[in-house]
Amino acid sequence: MLSQKTILLIDDDSDDQEIFSNALKRSDKSVKCVFANDGIHALEKINAEKEFVPDFIFIDLNMPRMNGQECLVNIKKIDKLKNVPVYIYSTSMDPLTIAANKKLGANDFIVKPASMMELTAVLSKLLKRPAVFLSMAMMLLAAIPQKIFAQKTTLPPVSKLKKLSVEQLMNIEVTSVSKTPQKLAEVASAIQVLTGDDIKRSPTTLMPEVLRLAPNLQVTRAGAHDWAVTARGFNGAPISNSSLADKLLVTIDGRAVYNPLFGGVYWDVQGVMKDDIDRIEVVSGPGGTLWGANAVNGVINVISKNAKETQGFTASAAYGTFLKDGFTLRYGSHIDSTFYFRIFGNRFDFNSSNYKNGLSADDKWNMTKGGFRMDYTPKGKSSFTLQGDLYTGNEDVGDSTQINGQNLLGRWKYNISQNAGLTFQAYFDRTWRNAKPDHLTDEVKTLDFDLQYNFRIARFNRILLGIGYRNLSDSTNSGISRFTPAFRTLQLLSGFLQDQITLIPKRLELTIGSKFLHNDYTHFEWQPSARLAWTVTEKNTLWTAVSRAVRVPSRFDRDLTSIQDLDYPPVTSERVIAYELGYRTRPAENVSISVATFYNNYDDLRSIDSTTFINRRVLGNNLKANSWGLEFSANYIATKWWRLRGGFTYMNKKFTYLTTRTIPDDDKFEAIDPKFTATLQSIMDLPKNFEFDIVARYVSKLEGSASRVIPDIPAYFSLDARINWTYKNISLGLSAQNLTDDSHPEFGSPRIEPRELPRSIHAKIGFHF
Amino acid sequence: MKKALGIFIVFILLTTQFVKAQTAAEYQVKAVFLFNFTRFIDWPTTCFEASNSPFVIGILGNDPFGTYIDETVNGETAGQHPIIIKRYKTIKDIDNCQILFINSAESELIKPILGELKEKNILTVSDATNFASLGGIIGFFIENNKIKMQINTDAAKAASLSISSKLLSLAKIL
Repeated sequence: MLSQKTILLIDDDSDDQEIFSNALKRSDKSVKCVFANDGIHALEKINAEKEFVPDFIFIDLNMPRMNGQECLVNIKKIDKLKNVPVYIYSTSMDPLTIAANKKLGANDFIVKPASMMELTAVLSKLLKRPAVFLSMAMMLLAAIPQKIFAQKTTLPPVSKLKKLSVEQLMNIEVTSVSKTPQKLAEVASAIQVLTGDDIKRSPTTLMPEVLRLAPNLQVTRAGAHDWAVTARGFNGAPISNSSLADKLLVTIDGRAVYNPLFGGVYWDVQGVMKDDIDRIEVVSGPGGTLWGANAVNGVINVISKNAKETQGFTASAAYGTFLKDGFTLRYGSHIDSTFYFRIFGNRFDFNSSNYKNGLSADDKWNMTKGGFRMDYTPKGKSSFTLQGDLYTGNEDVGDSTQINGQNLLGRWKYNISQNAGLTFQAYFDRTWRNAKPDHLTDEVKTLDFDLQYNFRIARFNRILLGIGYRNLSDSTNSGISRFTPAFRTLQLLSGFLQDQITLIPKRLELTIGSKFLHNDYTHFEWQPSARLAWTVTEKNTLWTAVSRAVRVPSRFDRDLTSIQDLDYPPVTSERVIAYELGYRTRPAENVSISVATFYNNYDDLRSIDSTTFINRRVLGNNLKANSWGLEFSANYIATKWWRLRGGFTYMNKKFTYLTTRTIPDDDKFEAIDPKFTATLQSIMDLPKNFEFDIVARYVSKLEGSASRVIPDIPAYFSLDARINWTYKNISLGLSAQNLTDDSHPEFGSPRIEPRELPRSIHAKIGFHF
Repeated sequence: MKKALGIFIVFILLTTQFVKAQTAAEYQVKAVFLFNFTRFIDWPTTCFEASNSPFVIGILGNDPFGTYIDETVNGETAGQHPIIIKRYKTIKDIDNCQILFINSAESELIKPILGELKEKNILTVSDATNFASLGGIIGFFIENNKIKMQINTDAAKAASLSISSKLLSLAKIL
């Protein structure tokens, strides 16, 4: 140990430290290198240990706290270092500086950035070891990328990590592919998770746009403020402010945002600030067993961050061409270590989309939103969450639509033991919309209670059961009566039971269960499923599932005034039996791949029929369909600074008409889907705190219908990009969408010229304290 | 369509070509944590046979560290005791060690192992879920991609280990 040579490098630049240490290793492996980040740090090190006498000292000149020259002066005062040669290692080439330092006792001057070869040669000379030319050349090659991405790319050498304090260690970001414990039910399903970071790095601003990152979803934007989102097809025709897509269940922090009037989601009002989203879980395939009715083709769970993770003050302002302006404010704080909260507000204005000829579609809109979240975790087994938000907005659709809403949700979690827990949740939600040009006013008030209990029986049974009650009161008002009755209260009672059985520990798991529900229209429904997961090896899982799910009728199906007086059987629930087979694998630590295939058999799908005697339209259940497809998704951590994720979905379907009464091409109202979609997201951390991200998407052609006057929508390839620079507390960003064309349509409405989404750009500035 | 397919073929090729190049840094950092524990925790002198007998960091079951842990402790000492790494296949193999790391993949072993080690002067560390609440001393968990610790002070007391207030101040205390 005593004979080991030591070099002390005093330099605040971690890139230079690393280059130095690499050069040193090439010159002489046995030499130990000790780093200090500035003059004061160095003196502390020198004084801390009596025996610490390096053989050589290298000092950078420009350093915070104490610069190199002062440090040199101080070092020369220390007795034990009297005979230690000191070299100045600096970018300065000023002869006066060189002379001054030599006068102060510096032995020599090495100019930075020294090429790796030079530095190695100097060090070799000092250490009296010949440098091997070949190894130097190799190192030069290796040094190039290291210099460019030094801080983020290379794994720090262990020696460097060991120098860090525990606090610093705790601040190092580590890479681990999906280390988060998977929820039990998810192992055997086509779930994809968008992490907070995936979302933050998306070039878009709004939540439905963020969902495009999930390759197993089909997201279409019909105009500035209208979206339709589905999984495994059945994106219905766009109707005012929404679409007839009604086979996806969406929850935001446990609150269902499914509208009982037509069974879909008003995506324009479903906004959680991008930075506040912890993750979005996207399940394609029936989720009815756990999640309830209408999760026929998939479930989206948006989970916002715990208030603990959004501490401090954050503000941002954006300005652009399509997103006209946007502002966010958030303040998070805590009362003590058990009680955290945040309050937030945001506002944005979007400009109008346009028609093919370039004319404005006059659908500009804005939204103002405020809210809060409180998380209280006292010592013991309970934790509480209370959150809520309210919003108001205005949308042009030729005329002006007003929207507003409020919601409040409370949740109590009680950890009975390691293997048992209880969750109780209650929420109130009100949405109001005065939709023009139909002049339909709709107010929905929802009150919901849910209780969940999980426990184990023996070692091999994990039981999850729950009961829920929902009271929906829907009140409509329009010039001509559109819904009869105009006001209706719907009650939904549900319960579910699931058992996850370990057949062979760590190898074979069977999950069986069913949801039971009672609703006012079709009364009792059940939605069973069986899922089997076979862990072939630790990193390979094969799973299969069979499930039944239903979509219960909405008010649109039952209460339309125009169908009231007709003698026709009322619309009943749509049903699906879904067969799934999937495979998940992690061929390496940095790669995860999932493939899911499905075959769905739909019965009693809604149809638009004509009555026998007088030719009037009525709703029936006279469509059948089969659909099949494949979903591929992958995550790949290429390097420490570059991550890729994405996938593709292929699907196809076939409709069968059960009666000739059903209007030809009726299926186009229920399902306008692309056969092939693909998504690729590239996330890069560049040096100097730059981020560069790209999202590329491909969507194949949407087949319209000539007889129903639904236009074809051509296939499109679209490219979004984002660049962001963070300097201390400030971040500056530039995001662009639809870079590949001037504008393109994504969805075609019956009898209406498609609105097109323009190429757009917006700049954003953010502050965080 | 062809364009998109092309992109994905490239993507898949990429994923299969370079997969072995990168190793997880997570366990590199965890290795350094284990090493740091020797600095922030005091073991009773009685747990060493001699003043220069080795300080043993044991790894039970699957070893997630690869060579990181060996690199980290190479040439290091804890006081007079040279630090060495031992790998144990089963509970039975465990002899005299001061730190025992239990891989999260061995979660089935955790309860029996903790029962066995209760009175011994062994710092039990794991990244298994809820390790500290199960009776382990230090549990690693990941929050925002960063490694955090949870410390069960009662369990540490039972093992007669004294943990520096510095380390305690940085961890979640159970």
